[in-house]
Amino acid sequence: MNCNKEAVELMHKYLDGDLSKPEETELRVHLEDCEACQTHFHELKRTITLIHSAEQISAPKNFTENVMQQLPAEKKRMRYSR
Amino acid sequence: MDQIIREKIKLVKKGDQSAYEDVVSFFQNKIYQHCFRMLGNAHEAEDIAQEAFIRAYVNIHSFDDKRKFSTWLYRIATNLTIDRIRKRKPDYYLDAEVKGTDGLDMYSQLASKDRLPGEEVESIELQRYIHQEISGLPPKYRSIIMLRYLEEFSLQEISDILDIPLGTVKTRIHRGREALRKRLRHV
Repeated sequence: MNCNKEAVELMHKYLDGDLSKPEETELRVHLEDCEACQTHFHELKRTITLIHSAEQISAPKNFTENVMQQLPAEKKRMRYSR
Repeated sequence: MDQIIREKIKLVKKGDQSAYEDVVSFFQNKIYQHCFRMLGNAHEAEDIAQEAFIRAYVNIHSFDDKRKFSTWLYRIATNLTIDRIRKRKPDYYLDAEVKGTDGLDMYSQLASKDRLPGEEVESIELQRYIHQEISGLPPKYRSIIMLRYLEEFSLQEISDILDIPLGTVKTRIHRGREALRKRLRHV
């Protein structure tokens, strides 16, 4: 198997949940023999774990209030329809 | 939660403005964070995130109740951030540091969690580093990586949000993961 093309392509399909059973076997068999691809696959999975731990950012204080203040006034038509 | 949001949107459509407050409050951190990661600047992120909520409100009648509100809201927010990036002047970054942000750089807006000595600090630094590396990706990969792994949308939902074919989403997520793999392999 061509590591750079086929094997890496299969790894990404795996990560997207698109891998068929035969492809899964193909990838597993290849990984057993190919250290470079094992490392690549490990790095990809680790990358995803790392992305999940990116810093969480909160909205500034009073964000919701500021938005609410900027909304256009309720239309008359709407008030009647309530 | 989806069901609660659905009910709130129904009320908003009937003209109940106060019901929208709960919607904004629920999504504010997600949308602000999305804008912040897209734009890399607190001042613009606040501006664009507010604009996204206002546009969603003004256009609420064009929202199809059968769809997920979050997908629709992210679509508005993402389009606004992309427009803003396109309109930037080439010297934008230099300007941003000097004016418009009141001396705040992007990190001064990051949520300040409890800072403890030792491992805790190390992990905050790591989280910040990862944020920085994601922010350093080209926008077309960055948006997809964020939507998939930080906001947990499916690839199909991302295709809806960005209005691009599923195949393109997959190509870009592959390239985005590869780019980040190279940036993060030594962490």
